[in-house]
Amino acid sequence: MTARTLMNSQPVVLRPTDTVATATAHILKHHLRHLPVIDEEGCYIGTFSIYSLLRLTLPKAVTMKEGLTDVSFVNETTQDLAQRLRERGSEPVLNWLSKEEPVMHPDVSTMEVMLLMLRARTTSAPVVDKNSHRLEGIVSFWDVFEKLMGEDA
Amino acid sequence: MHGSSEVASVGTMWLAAILFVITYAAIMSEKINRAIVSLLAAGLMILLGILNQEAAIRGIDFNTIGLLIGMMVIVAVTRQSGVFQFMAIWSAKKVNANPWGILVMISLVTAVTSALLDNVTTVLLVVPVTLLITEELKVKPYPYLFAMIFASNIGGTSTLIGDPPNIMIGSATGLTFNDFAYHLTPVILVIMAATLLPIYFIWGRHLQATSEDRQRVMQFNEYEAISNVRLLKYCLAVIGLVIGGFVFAKLLHLEAATVAMTGAALLLLLANFGHDPEHQSKHVLDAFNEVEWITIFFFVGLFIVVHGVDGTGLLKLLAEKMMALTGGNLTATTMVILWSSAILSAIIDNIPFVATMIPMIKAMAPAFGGSEGLMPLWWALSLGACLGGNGTLIGASANLVVAGFAERAGQPIRFVQYTLMAFPLMLLSIAISAVYLYWRYL
Repeated sequence: MTARTLMNSQPVVLRPTDTVATATAHILKHHLRHLPVIDEEGCYIGTFSIYSLLRLTLPKAVTMKEGLTDVSFVNETTQDLAQRLRERGSEPVLNWLSKEEPVMHPDVSTMEVMLLMLRARTTSAPVVDKNSHRLEGIVSFWDVFEKLMGEDA
Repeated sequence: MHGSSEVASVGTMWLAAILFVITYAAIMSEKINRAIVSLLAAGLMILLGILNQEAAIRGIDFNTIGLLIGMMVIVAVTRQSGVFQFMAIWSAKKVNANPWGILVMISLVTAVTSALLDNVTTVLLVVPVTLLITEELKVKPYPYLFAMIFASNIGGTSTLIGDPPNIMIGSATGLTFNDFAYHLTPVILVIMAATLLPIYFIWGRHLQATSEDRQRVMQFNEYEAISNVRLLKYCLAVIGLVIGGFVFAKLLHLEAATVAMTGAALLLLLANFGHDPEHQSKHVLDAFNEVEWITIFFFVGLFIVVHGVDGTGLLKLLAEKMMALTGGNLTATTMVILWSSAILSAIIDNIPFVATMIPMIKAMAPAFGGSEGLMPLWWALSLGACLGGNGTLIGASANLVVAGFAERAGQPIRFVQYTLMAFPLMLLSIAISAVYLYWRYL
């Protein structure tokens, strides 16, 4: 069994020009953690995830590399945080993509899929064609384990 | 770095000159790590017979090395206390979170801290708080970051321990902490004020924040930024002792490295006292890991290279050429050193430049009536080399650290845009220095 057979080939995807607000709505409505972002040709260009959301809702001085490690002196209220989220809602998701998320090729084995999830501490990963970089689907932890439990039964 | 008395052959002088030029070119190209370049050049100096190992070790200024390492360890321990964030927030609240007031206060905090500790650490710790404040106030961070670059280099110029060129000059000449404070601090105060003025007219007067946003900054609790009160007390006590040690160094017949290294050891003892050996090892290793070993080994190699070149009589020859150019006139020589070191330091690393200039200036002593007569030249070298670093984004390491933060915060500082404003402002600080040197010493 390979990533291709395990994956969901009709995942919710975003375009780089989609807004942060649209992405947020998808994430909250479907309880998704990772949304792949694809260009007009269907090629994978990055992932907008719940971590993108956390990052954009916090001050940049806190989330950037070598930024503030201790924020106990800041007294931002939930209204302040909500306002930052609203202000950034109209920005394109392109500004907040992660390009470092692990991806897998369609022909990798179930074991490789599982090992990648374990090592990257992620619950899902985009399946991307090796040559064309087209997004083929998404394989999630649940896809894998539902399959495993089914085999057992 | 004393020129050795033996007379080298013309062949050796040429060999040393070629190696020296190649070393400089390699450092400037930045293709190979500068520590590798200087250590390799030092090795070649010995292998090619320009000097032997014994002479090479004599060439290393261990007072500079010890002072640098000692202060780096003290900073490494102190930064964990959160005191830098405390000062930045405290000063911002003192001016009621007024945007221009904050710019002035953050610049002053940066300048004072840079005068006592190293510039890179200062900006590394103050920039993130500044970015948080500008984000809360919804003002552009650029003017703040620009002012901080200038403040760190200007502040660093005012003391013996503020900037590596001063450490090297002090170590080579025996000029003390008090000498630097007495001769440089007055002009540094004027330069700091003169730098803030154009910043006010260009950006400062347009900076505005709503009372709501200012209120958010006023609600910061600076005492929460202090992560370890006990450690903070130890750090402040040791820094106080170390600065006291520098002030009374001459009276106590102490060299700067002794003061800094003993202070570092004392602080490590206080910070680790009562902890189990494993915990101690980890903390001591953490502190040592924060020492900028690339800089330290760069210095070691460079001292050997410069000592080798000096021993061949090449630097003496260059000094004579320079004297011929200025007609042996003290005013002209001072001005040439001031302006050339400023412009060169804006473009190249000021450390190798200063390392080379020191033996050259020493060689001029007979022409200016002994080492006392060299005073204006030393201050010209210090002011030129330290302040020159403001001229471009690559002029000093602290500039690059600030630029890195700006990039990550999504507000990049462009090289040309920075230089267009910074270079004239740097020239203004050198012009003020020129007037000061002329008025006070010439």
